[in-house]
Amino acid sequence: MDVQKHIHETVTGNPIVLYMKGTPQFPQCGFSAKVIQMLKASGVTSLVTVNILEEPEVRQGIKEYANWPTIPQLYVNGEFVGGCDILTEMYASGELEKVLEPVVKAA
Amino acid sequence: MLDPKLIETWIAAGLPCEHIAVAGDGHHFEAVIVSAEFEGMNRVKRQQRVYQIIKDKLDSGELHALSMRTLTPAEWAVAR
Repeated sequence: MDVQKHIHETVTGNPIVLYMKGTPQFPQCGFSAKVIQMLKASGVTSLVTVNILEEPEVRQGIKEYANWPTIPQLYVNGEFVGGCDILTEMYASGELEKVLEPVVKAA
Repeated sequence: MLDPKLIETWIAAGLPCEHIAVAGDGHHFEAVIVSAEFEGMNRVKRQQRVYQIIKDKLDSGELHALSMRTLTPAEWAVAR
């Protein structure tokens, strides 16, 4: 399947999707680990994660999908929210919780 | 080892900056970038603008990760 189509279906078919290095239990990059912690602290109990280290096509494809060259990448309801820096700023200001609130409540 | 000053020159060459400061340990870097061009852009668009400049360095692996704070001159005046 076309990788862009596959990514599109993944991010639109799930409320919260995180493209990361490693898994929530064993993140393999400090930035990915930090985002997992912020999501947990924001009340997220279920999310879909994609370990790009195990999916080389997705690893390249996701950079093109969002026009964003780095991992992690967070998608909420199909929309690209940001990478680690943006999420850190949004977490500090309370915006991240607001963005996630409707999704967390619906879960 | 990559010199943070070099990253400053890369970014400044592609974006008119009021202020730019990059710090780092040779592997992970943090940048504060202040540009009037950021006005009216959300955070994602601002970082995409910067990534566009350093895309080849990231693609080649020369630069692994760059944390960014992207501010307009007005936001910078409040934040500093």
